[in-house]
Amino acid sequence: MTLFVYLLSSGLTSGALYALVAVGLVLCYRTTGHINFAHSELFMLGGFIAFTFHVLWGLPYIPSLLLAVIAGFLLGVLTDRAVYRPLIKAPPLTMVLATVGFSFLLKGIGRYFWGGQGEVVPFPPLASPAPVLIGTIPVFPQQIAVLSGALFCMALLTLFFRYTRAGKTMQATAEDVRASFLVGIRVERVYTLTWGTGAALAAVAAVLMAPLTLLTPDVGFILLLKAFAATILGGLGSMPGAVVGGFLVGIMEAFAGGYIASSFQDVSAFAIIMLVLVFRPTGLFGVKGGREA
Amino acid sequence: MQGKLRQAWRTAGLLTAALAFGADAAQAQQVVGITKDTIKIGGMGPLTGPLAGLVVPQLNGVQAVFEEANEAGGIHGRKIVYIKEDDECLPSKGVGAVKKLIHETQPFILVGGGCSNAAIAQKPEIVESKIPWVIVASTADSLTEPVDPYIFSSMSAAWMEVYGMLQHAIDQGKKRVAVLWQPDAWGKARIEPMYAALKKANIEPVLVEEVAVEPTDLTPVVLKLQAAKPDAVMLILFPKAAIPYLRDAYKLGFLPLSVGGSPLGEIDVIAKGTGTADAVKNLRSLAAAGYAPDDPHVAKWKAIIEKRFPGDRFNVLHMFGISAGQFAVEALRKVGPEPTREKIIQVMSTLSVQTDTYAGPLRCTPDDHQCHKTLGVFALKDGRISGVAKAEPKR
Repeated sequence: MTLFVYLLSSGLTSGALYALVAVGLVLCYRTTGHINFAHSELFMLGGFIAFTFHVLWGLPYIPSLLLAVIAGFLLGVLTDRAVYRPLIKAPPLTMVLATVGFSFLLKGIGRYFWGGQGEVVPFPPLASPAPVLIGTIPVFPQQIAVLSGALFCMALLTLFFRYTRAGKTMQATAEDVRASFLVGIRVERVYTLTWGTGAALAAVAAVLMAPLTLLTPDVGFILLLKAFAATILGGLGSMPGAVVGGFLVGIMEAFAGGYIASSFQDVSAFAIIMLVLVFRPTGLFGVKGGREA
Repeated sequence: MQGKLRQAWRTAGLLTAALAFGADAAQAQQVVGITKDTIKIGGMGPLTGPLAGLVVPQLNGVQAVFEEANEAGGIHGRKIVYIKEDDECLPSKGVGAVKKLIHETQPFILVGGGCSNAAIAQKPEIVESKIPWVIVASTADSLTEPVDPYIFSSMSAAWMEVYGMLQHAIDQGKKRVAVLWQPDAWGKARIEPMYAALKKANIEPVLVEEVAVEPTDLTPVVLKLQAAKPDAVMLILFPKAAIPYLRDAYKLGFLPLSVGGSPLGEIDVIAKGTGTADAVKNLRSLAAAGYAPDDPHVAKWKAIIEKRFPGDRFNVLHMFGISAGQFAVEALRKVGPEPTREKIIQVMSTLSVQTDTYAGPLRCTPDDHQCHKTLGVFALKDGRISGVAKAEPKR
């Protein structure tokens, strides 16, 4: 029983990481209909920008986080202008290739500016590095911060979609682009806002997670795969699905590592992608034949 | 009369020019990569891709040594021209990169190779072209065993580190040994020697676990280790995997002696990665480099690297390159003003050089081209990396 609880807590904290990345991925998909394969690199750059402000230039944590989020938003807007907008009428495959290409460009930028810092770049934790006990289970305060940050972001997004005009226009665009256009919604502006918000979320995730995952120019790729598994499991395009999927991927990984073999821990996410695509292509919360708003 | 004299001078001038040109041409024809003023040296490694961060600093270390030698007047008046090719640490790209060096760049010797994956694929091309090769940091035993007359390694071989790691644990009185390893080419090159070392020491490991190269959380692995109750854990891991292990082990209060290899040489960085020095208080690292990056012994090179490569933070990776570069420079000096490949091979096969960044000399013999013999054992003391022992592993 103790092992089960330990593994469950480990899975929940990893799952919060995956959920946070997955939410950004889903946000772009549900509004634009495209998966942003450069999301992992926006995450990486967000982390390095925060590292520059916080560690290299000595700014406090919260201002560094806010500056990284603003920089992330601007990078998202740049993604929209440089990649998405020129290809808005191109076939979906073109968009996939374009975002993959853009991810390589961003990775190159990351390597150019921060590549000489060693194999890994440590990022100091927000709170004390000593573990705290929740019941009998030791947990790092940073893991609690990630879990709380993920839940906070999700709550904020829910409020944003439910109560703000911008959120509602994004919902409407996700439902029907043509109808939104006809009722006077400036769809292109919604897309810009979407890419920017998605990238800002990636930056929040990076700053919260960097003390646990460390920073390297390649840090985003594995997380993107895990987040992708989470979105597939939850139902591509479903925001609650991404959250539940993220937690489930984290928990399944921990159980696979603990009960089967350590070597299964990392591959379980890929097994999940394959199994879900074969047996339930819409995922847990997805709607057959379309994006769920 | 005056016309005849002018014609004689012109003829003499032309003859002199022709002779000089002929001599240069003959030299160039005789010795590939050598001109009157230059020595061309080729280098290969992942300049881009995921492993660039590990190898670019190594090649920057080599380049810094060459640039310093050039500024001091060169080698017997010749300046070193160092030309690098990107192999991305991939066998497919590696062969193309080394072929380009061999056939287009045509260097006198090669000083490169930062990862075994590409180096193993490059070896047959290099051996066939008979170019002397100083390996910077590729550690696979198959590169230097059996001895090849053209290949010399300035880096500790894979077996040396794992034999040294286990011996260090045994020297501390540890008998219940567990092993964590990462299943990539680097890890695979070490797990077999580790089994051999364990067998030689008559130790049955209490647990051998394979962990991902870039894991997010290793709590399940730590729980298994705790159940197996080892008193020493051998870490055949890079920092990307070792840091999550040490962090999660600290979280669960599991702090046995942990012994890693060269990739874990920067214990201060690893401590920062885990968030606390307490997580690494029982970590020991056996590293090819002999000194910590902030050791006064290497302060000169720290200043040189950070001046020549402003984006770099001086670390052990630079030290590997510096030692390889110094080995090559010393061989070029010893070979004299009329170098040939045959001569430099002869020189290198008996060369012994105390470099600035290794704990012991690089010492080659005709029967042993694994020239790196002495490893440093490091720990974190009072927030600084300190050498706690030296090791000369033997099979």
